[in-house]
Amino acid sequence: MVLLCAFLWLPLQLPASNDYSDHRQLTERLEALAGANPALASLESLTTTVGGKEIWLLSVGSGELTQRPAVAVVGGVSGDRLLGSELAISFAERLLDESGRDEVRQLLDSVTFYIFPDMSPDARAQYFAPLKYERFGNANPSDLDRDGRVGEDPYNDLNGDGMITMMRVEDPTGKWMKHPDDSRVMVKARVEKGERGGYRLLSEGIDEDQDGQWNEDGEEGVFFNRNFTYDYPAFSRGAGEHAVSEKETRAIADFLFEAKNVFAVISLGEADNLSHPLSYDPRKTSGRIISGWLEEDVKINQMVSHIYRSHLDVSDAEQVAGSPGDFFQWAYFHYGRFSFSTPGWWIPDAGEEDPSFGSKELNFLRWAEGKGMQDVFVPWEPVDHPDFPGRKVEVGGIVPFAMTTPPYHMVDSLLEGHYHFINEVARLRPQIDVLNLQKEELGRNLYRITADIANLGSFPATSQLGQRVRWVQKPVVRVELADGQKMMSGRTIDIIQSLEGHSSLERSWVVQGGGTLVLRAGSECAGFREIEITL
Amino acid sequence: MNYKKYITLLFAGLVWLFAGHDALAQSMENFFKAAGTPVNPKVEISWNRYYTNAGLEDISRRLVDAYPDLATLESIGQSYEGREIWLLTVTNHQNKPHREKPGFWIDGNIHGNEIQGSEIALYTAWYLLENYGDNDFITQLMDEKVFYIAPTINPDGREHYMMEPNTVNTPRSGTIPLDDDGDGEKAEDGFDDLNNDGHITQMRRRNPYGRYIECPEDPRRMIPAPPDQFGDFDLLGFEGIDRDGDGRVNEDGVGRYDPNRDWGWNWQPDHIQRGAYHYPFALPENRAVKDFVMAHPNIAGAQTYHNTGGMILRGPGTAEDASLYTREDIRVYDAIGELGDRMLPGYRYWTLFEDLYTVYGGQIDWFHFGRGIFTYTNELFTSYKYFYEEYQTRDEGQKASYVFDRHLLFEDAFVDWEPFDHPQFGEIEIGGFKKNFGRVHPGFMLEQDAHRNMAFTLYHAYHTPQLEVTELTVKDLGRGLREVVAVVTNTRMTPTHAGIDLQYNINRPNYISLEGADVVSGMLVHNRDLNVVEEQKVNPEKLEIKNIPGMDSVTVKWIIDGGRRMSVTVDSPKGGVVRREL
Repeated sequence: MVLLCAFLWLPLQLPASNDYSDHRQLTERLEALAGANPALASLESLTTTVGGKEIWLLSVGSGELTQRPAVAVVGGVSGDRLLGSELAISFAERLLDESGRDEVRQLLDSVTFYIFPDMSPDARAQYFAPLKYERFGNANPSDLDRDGRVGEDPYNDLNGDGMITMMRVEDPTGKWMKHPDDSRVMVKARVEKGERGGYRLLSEGIDEDQDGQWNEDGEEGVFFNRNFTYDYPAFSRGAGEHAVSEKETRAIADFLFEAKNVFAVISLGEADNLSHPLSYDPRKTSGRIISGWLEEDVKINQMVSHIYRSHLDVSDAEQVAGSPGDFFQWAYFHYGRFSFSTPGWWIPDAGEEDPSFGSKELNFLRWAEGKGMQDVFVPWEPVDHPDFPGRKVEVGGIVPFAMTTPPYHMVDSLLEGHYHFINEVARLRPQIDVLNLQKEELGRNLYRITADIANLGSFPATSQLGQRVRWVQKPVVRVELADGQKMMSGRTIDIIQSLEGHSSLERSWVVQGGGTLVLRAGSECAGFREIEITL
Repeated sequence: MNYKKYITLLFAGLVWLFAGHDALAQSMENFFKAAGTPVNPKVEISWNRYYTNAGLEDISRRLVDAYPDLATLESIGQSYEGREIWLLTVTNHQNKPHREKPGFWIDGNIHGNEIQGSEIALYTAWYLLENYGDNDFITQLMDEKVFYIAPTINPDGREHYMMEPNTVNTPRSGTIPLDDDGDGEKAEDGFDDLNNDGHITQMRRRNPYGRYIECPEDPRRMIPAPPDQFGDFDLLGFEGIDRDGDGRVNEDGVGRYDPNRDWGWNWQPDHIQRGAYHYPFALPENRAVKDFVMAHPNIAGAQTYHNTGGMILRGPGTAEDASLYTREDIRVYDAIGELGDRMLPGYRYWTLFEDLYTVYGGQIDWFHFGRGIFTYTNELFTSYKYFYEEYQTRDEGQKASYVFDRHLLFEDAFVDWEPFDHPQFGEIEIGGFKKNFGRVHPGFMLEQDAHRNMAFTLYHAYHTPQLEVTELTVKDLGRGLREVVAVVTNTRMTPTHAGIDLQYNINRPNYISLEGADVVSGMLVHNRDLNVVEEQKVNPEKLEIKNIPGMDSVTVKWIIDGGRRMSVTVDSPKGGVVRREL
């Protein structure tokens, strides 16, 4: 049904509003946005994936985008979470829709939004494909099980329902059993409580290469969210042959390293440091290779998380610290910018389940049924399975994407909170200004200038980690003297290593000679302030 | 002269006639052979000078023109500035496709100023080509192995080093302009060749309260004044002016990243280890090498040339990876490295992280850990070579370098101190050693060290895996069934799969296949005498063998039905393809 709707809606110019957009629809929405807002939005393709899909970047803002602070909003970090892409593009749509309002207009005059709606278009396409399964990898042919053969053991749709669910195989040595409260749900038997399993639980398919693993090497290639350099899991499934090996990972890294103005990266993916901020652990920050956020940066995470919680109900959320090779951690640890991530949606606690099993599947089913949701479960049905001749094999389980992606009708309410949250992060951007400028005549053509180099924003000029990172621009204070003027004291180029939010540093110069000099302070990611001073 | 060489010569002569190339040896009347060196090479090359990128390309083309059956030339990619990265493929191209032979990678000059690796790499190509058919060992090596030789994998750095004013240490990187001092401007305050001699030497200024004096033994050399005395000079650093007015000199020149911190194993960013660029293989030169190596899994051994200090280095670059080197692999490294220690007087065989320093994301580690390739890095040249003396301190070595320059180079390596009117420092003097002294070999020493380093790498290349079906027998089992036993021996020291390769399945397994029979069952034999076997149920005609260790054999067995013109093919990613008919 879902597929059919998506298909029927395709020829229409307006996006389908009852389901997520596939790549073509997403492209149409982006093109429509850029076309309708030529002064505020521009669309470019950073690269084309092996699967032939563009990696879109929508830059939103007015004027000179590269010379003032920017927020990067990244969707499609994980191919199984369609909400991320939808939130990213819907955020852009709403922002541009409201660009006539004064406060939005002012924001767009002073902040740049780099919106990457989908970093995993090859994987995300599986949601719309004739065979639906939760996919992470791109279309770059890969030997996922590293056995020397590429793509030799894909999923197989044994019951012909167009989706990949699970198989349970009756087996006296199996470790799985039916949940005592709901025989649809499989749970691991608790040996310590005297329970015995009776099933093997496998994903739906055939062991084509007869290696004792099912569906371990299908069409999927490299996972966007496992291909970055921080804590890179070499040679693990989906990680690629080396870090940043893929066209899409390179494209976003190349863009971001050149974009000196990005002060915050907001990922809409698996990790979550917004519903619950990270905590400071000095043991993780003391060695040569650090694995924890620095103390001052944790405080900013707390501030931003507080804002997030004021816009969204996070009572069902849990902190997810990130995973090896992911984008979220890379953006902090290697790119040196503030990095925030949220799945955007959490399955609510249905509250009825025996907590000792902790079955997320059962909780989900209870919640879905309470909401009257149809088609979230494929009932177990027996199949004849060539790998298990003469044995009872059933195919069934929760429908793919049901637990990672909310029903489309929920997007509007989720967008509301995220829209205001991202706006507020942008408003708290670092903002360099020059305050309390004083000129003193010292006599005989000698002048002293004193000024406070201030940060009026809540974010610091760079993250604490960013102070160490070569690719993060620290604020620079430059004095350009007029002809005939001479600097007697003070620096003509002064790099400010650290400038917290709502703080300032005093600087003074002694200049010989009259005329007009230019004082320019700031950085791309904290904004610039330029003042002419006539002596 | 054997027949093959004669034909090759004849062909080369024709090429020369029609193309006007110089690929024809001169008359033998004038020469008498020195042992170990081609007496009358088709391609005459002076191995006592250095070659520009144009010079390297010219030599490569002359070699390929002279030996079209033995060498091909291709570009594997472009540098940041658009220069080609040339690669010579040297092997007997007639007997077998090169991808079916164990491969050996050689490169040089990854650091822009470390130039002589290119000449040593090219010497190797030249020596192999000029000796093919004349020397049995070289002929066998060229028949069995393939050499992939990239003389420079940093042509921009090489060009800059040679053509622009530089110190002995610059540029280590390529030429991507970066902001080194954090002021938001890129490469705005590099060196200034104040005296226009192409070398960036030192600046000194007379000062009765200075802390430096001229060395009494050689007044060209500046040494610290005694602790209780004032000297006559200030030292002001390398030639330059403060161009951007930030109070610092030469603090932001071109490049200043490290191409040898750009490789995809245990990579760490610049703030953890100065020099890394954005991510592994972000530098186009390294990406070209990486793409080539990935596309040629037959590369089993590798040699990279750096300078300086006289070292044969093996990995790992970091302590945390030390446990990933298996004992078996270390035995192979040690056997080759310890012989090299002897072949290269003044060089020491060292483990990188333990004996030198920690390197994250180094080339040597990606080759070993990322691809399972046995790899050494040689740090060419050492002050030992001045007088065959070991110096315990930096000071002793420096002192010797002045004596060496005076008596063996006749002061050709030194720019005499001359006065200069500096816009910021006033009356100064400029002088010091030229950029071509201290790290690169003086001309007369180059050929010898090229030969010794080459000999070391040829020994290493010889010991890449070499597979042979050493036994192939059939036995009747009755009822129409027969048993085929094949013993495959690796006759050299390097295994087909390094320990890291077995741990991560980096390269596919070796395949041992039986053709020409219906296979009923196929198995790997662990113990032939006691019949301890492991059956492969799926595709038994193509047995997957994880490793064929060095100087060792594996035995496989098939039970077959029928079978006539049977043959066994061993297809190893790093051991090549061999076939034997039954």
